[in-house]
Amino acid sequence: MTAEPTPLECTGTTKLFGDDISGARALLADGCDRQQILDRTGCLVAVRDATFSVSRGETFVVMGLSGSGKSTLIRCLSRLIEPTSGTIKIEGTPIGDLDDQELRELRRRRLSMVFQHFGLFSHRRVIDNVAFGLEIQGVAKSQRYERALEVLSVVGLSDWADHFPQQLSGGMQQRVGLARALCVEPEILFFDEPFSALDPLIRREMQDELLSLQARMQRTLVFITHDFHEALKLGDRIAIMKDGEFVQVGTPEQIVSAPADDYVREFTTDAPKTKVITVGSAMKPLHGAAPPGEPVRVDDVLDDVLARLLADPAELGIVDERGEVVGTVDRARVAALLGESSRAGAVSAGRSTPRQ
Amino acid sequence: MGLAVVVAAQLALSAVGGFPESWAVPLADWIDEARRWVINNQTTHWSFSFIFNPISDFIDGGLRAVEGFLLWLPWYVVAAAAAMATTAALGLRAGLLAGVGVLYFGAVELWDESLQTVALMTVAVGISVAIGVPAGIASARYDRLQRSLRPLLDAMQTLPAFVYLIPVVLLFGVARVPAIIATVVYALPPVIRLTDLGIRSVPASTVEAAEMFGATPRQTLRKVQFPLALPSVLTGINQTIMMALSIVVIAALIGAGGLGQVVLESLRRLFVGRALEAGLAIVVLAMLMDRVTHGAAGLGARRRRLRLMPDSLGRSAPVRALEDALESVDRLMCRVGASLASPLRRSPGLAAVARRPRWVLGMAALAVVTIASAVVGRPEFPSAFSFSFASRIDWLVDWVRDNLYEIGGTWFGTGWFSDSMTIYAVTPLRELLSAELAWPVVVLAVALAGWRLGGAPLATFCTACVAGLGFLGMWTLSMDTFAQVIVAVVMAILCGIPLGVLAARSDRFERMLKPVLDFLQTIPSFVLLVPVIIMFNVGRIPGIIASVLYALPAATRLTNLGIRGVSGEATEASKAFGATRGQTLRKVQLPLAAPSIMAGINQTVMLVLAMVVIAGLVGGGGLGLETVKGLRRTDSVGSGFVAGLAIVLLAMLLDRLLQAGTRRFTPTKSGS
Repeated sequence: MTAEPTPLECTGTTKLFGDDISGARALLADGCDRQQILDRTGCLVAVRDATFSVSRGETFVVMGLSGSGKSTLIRCLSRLIEPTSGTIKIEGTPIGDLDDQELRELRRRRLSMVFQHFGLFSHRRVIDNVAFGLEIQGVAKSQRYERALEVLSVVGLSDWADHFPQQLSGGMQQRVGLARALCVEPEILFFDEPFSALDPLIRREMQDELLSLQARMQRTLVFITHDFHEALKLGDRIAIMKDGEFVQVGTPEQIVSAPADDYVREFTTDAPKTKVITVGSAMKPLHGAAPPGEPVRVDDVLDDVLARLLADPAELGIVDERGEVVGTVDRARVAALLGESSRAGAVSAGRSTPRQ
Repeated sequence: MGLAVVVAAQLALSAVGGFPESWAVPLADWIDEARRWVINNQTTHWSFSFIFNPISDFIDGGLRAVEGFLLWLPWYVVAAAAAMATTAALGLRAGLLAGVGVLYFGAVELWDESLQTVALMTVAVGISVAIGVPAGIASARYDRLQRSLRPLLDAMQTLPAFVYLIPVVLLFGVARVPAIIATVVYALPPVIRLTDLGIRSVPASTVEAAEMFGATPRQTLRKVQFPLALPSVLTGINQTIMMALSIVVIAALIGAGGLGQVVLESLRRLFVGRALEAGLAIVVLAMLMDRVTHGAAGLGARRRRLRLMPDSLGRSAPVRALEDALESVDRLMCRVGASLASPLRRSPGLAAVARRPRWVLGMAALAVVTIASAVVGRPEFPSAFSFSFASRIDWLVDWVRDNLYEIGGTWFGTGWFSDSMTIYAVTPLRELLSAELAWPVVVLAVALAGWRLGGAPLATFCTACVAGLGFLGMWTLSMDTFAQVIVAVVMAILCGIPLGVLAARSDRFERMLKPVLDFLQTIPSFVLLVPVIIMFNVGRIPGIIASVLYALPAATRLTNLGIRGVSGEATEASKAFGATRGQTLRKVQLPLAAPSIMAGINQTVMLVLAMVVIAGLVGGGGLGLETVKGLRRTDSVGSGFVAGLAIVLLAMLLDRLLQAGTRRFTPTKSGS
């Protein structure tokens, strides 16, 4: 891990839309808020000072409602939209300095993107859609078809290679989109709300598929969504975005158990906490001997142990990664933890107006 | 209030009358001067030897080559090629009809003229596409270019075809090359517009996806944007072809030759039968080109069907046997074609061709037959096939004159119709506008209309246009044309809107009306005059009637479309309140369809103007006649140019007024 550069590093990325960019920049530096800047200069602050890095094999989810700037942010990362300021480094190379040719080369070899409305080419067969990236790179036809068929079989669409995208269902179309992105073997994959146009069952199926693919591939993923549940399910880390700014960045558990403010708390109210919070958060440090019975692991989520706790009032031992017993958990502690966060959620929901 | 002002002005100025002729600017003389300069300097000045003449020579060379090739081809090869192309685009039945259509050219002894027109079309459309598609692509890429092109294209589409001939004649003289240049200029807008539109309507996310894969702008255009825009581009080419055909025919006036020449000469000598024969040949050509490009653009309904018989007969055994036989022949042909094409498959550039066995076989067959015929000696179109119905049509014209003019010796008949229209509508209106009303009153009335519809800017524009007519010295002629336009528009609206309403209410009526309207829209304006002349002889009235027929489809179609476009919910709501059909129509459907109907009226007026001008050829008088005179005789090209300019002013005036009117009827969306 020492010499290897971070796959994606984003520092102070800001994007302004409007005519009076320099005026708006000055106001930004003075710390004016989004509305003030819009009123005074007519410029929209789409993304403000986004700083984060994503390590190899990690899934970084950016979650926010529409208009929060998440789509703009993901486009800044590949310079589909030119950021106003800030540095973005891919594998240690600042991409802001690349000329058109170098940027194209970067997109061809290292990046890929899956789009919200699939962005498929309706005049090309599925296989030509999937092979598009290789075609752009100038790979010979037989070679690119071979590779495309390989990827199509990964997403389970080998039999549909000669169809046109419109002949496929929404879920299948997005599998084509996914296959197209995977075909060029990118190091970093961007997902722009890829599953939001699908119906709930298909969406869940696709999420599971992405998780299993990622478990095998270990790529670097940046995933945009407006669905908090999806963020919890897929993300190793989540950034909650509001009005162009990151409100909180953390693991799903950190966000659910310690929301940074009321805005984040509102999302967590109906979150499936027992699927996110680990046994570790409810752990009482070990005093004396380990309790009898099979211990649970420190990174198990509450869901995994609830059945045992409800069936038996006794304490359960908790073991860490090395298998040593480090603490215990019991009914009362889990109840207290869950009660606390849902009460806080209920209060905040009652206080502020609901957002759409 | 406005009316009162106009009446008061007229009472005060009753002695003034038409626009004083002495005020006219001697523009015509200046133009004649310029024309003389052009003639004298054609050989010496650099702009000719380096710009105009090379263009001219290039086009001329291309035209000669295409024409020579087409006329060299044996007649059956041409017919077979047309049949095969149509079969590929539309199916076997249409293909056979196309073959018969081409044979018609030979049958009425218009083979050479028809192929001359085809050659003119090929070169003109080829140049239009070669300029238009890249221009459209550029315009889709650069917003600033689009912004500066748009008003130009708008203006180009407003003007009647006719007007384009004059400046071209001024620079290039009278011949076939200027005809092609005028055609290109006239037919260019649709292909530019629709290429632009097609590329711009490719979804942004699709383009973004291509960019994300590192595609260069060129790759994005070639692999994504252009293929997706292709249906739109082909629609543009289809429209360009139809527009080119309509002007190529009129361009006979400046020596383009071909079928238009035959129609024109025959009409001039009142050989109506011959004119109809040539006119029909033009219609055949128009339908052929329209349907084939329409089908190729994928706009036609069912494509590539090797069915000969209507589907309704599909159950009878002999028909099925025939269809099966055809299908097996097709399979056999495919196999032969595929084996012929197999050597092509290895060469990278021709691999796409090799995937179309029918195409390869067809081309090979045509080539073999052509070469064989060339060796044996090119056969003439067999005289046994020829037939002429010109004399019968001439007889019909006489019969109509003798019998329908006053049916059965009574007062009623076409004669009565045209006489009463002349006496009670056209002549009084013309007199009123050109002489009885004081010219400032006319200017004032138009200005007031402009002010009501579009405020001060439009009022200024209208005043300038109307006054311009006077200063050009074209007051009387303009008012003559204007009067004809008014009468024709009123008639077209009185016929068109009720037809549209009926079509909207009855699917059966709509189905019946559709082929008629399609037919009327496919016929080039000029050809439409011929059948009207059979019924009404020459003069202003046939011109007006042809204009009504020409403009009718627009009014009917847009009324129908507007009413059918009214949401089902609105109609249902009206019914739920117990409204009768008439009440629903009057209170809900017509008001909601008003924007569409206004757009229809707008188009009607522009089409009528274009046609009334052309009717100057057959005794319609007015500006059209003056322009034609200018085109015919080199010594009066100046006054022809001025008349053309007056047409432009009139067209722009009407267009702007109607656009403003249409906007007033279109509900503005509230909110942001």
